[in-house]
Amino acid sequence: MKQHIGRQVGVQKVDVNLIDGKVDVTPKEDGQIDPAQLLKATYDSGVSTAEMDITASGRIVSSGSDALVLQTSPSQSFTLSPNDLSKDLGSLAGTTTFVTVKGLLYKKPPGKKKSDLPTSLNLSITEVLKKE
Amino acid sequence: MNIRRLALLGLFSAMLMGPTANAQIKHIEMRVEGMT
Repeated sequence: MKQHIGRQVGVQKVDVNLIDGKVDVTPKEDGQIDPAQLLKATYDSGVSTAEMDITASGRIVSSGSDALVLQTSPSQSFTLSPNDLSKDLGSLAGTTTFVTVKGLLYKKPPGKKKSDLPTSLNLSITEVLKKE
Repeated sequence: MNIRRLALLGLFSAMLMGPTANAQIKHIEMRVEGMT
């Protein structure tokens, strides 16, 4: 699994803890890494991902249908799942303020041993680390 | 004159590109099951 993930574009380092099943992925300097590809690589290696958390920075953008989006690059963005923290960030939509947030990007549906890969990834913010 | 224009262009580019360079995924943590 470590090799599978390590081969993905944008991955600099992979640390695997066999005891608690924790996998830490450090992106390369440019941060151009695709979490969906990591989920697929993990899935392909025969292991099931229970949760995926990310720490990312970017701008808050309104997608037009009341949904907020964290834009981490011109070609990459994550729709924010509505919660109290995302509502607070709503006032920053369309501004030049950069936020660094931590959040849950994927959680395996309960009751399933091995679930299919998700078709879309929504970010549920658990912590706002920085606004600048 | 050209140097001044170039300097201004560089300054505006840095203002626009600087924040974009900061936008990125900084860390990913997964919890996996079924690992041997």
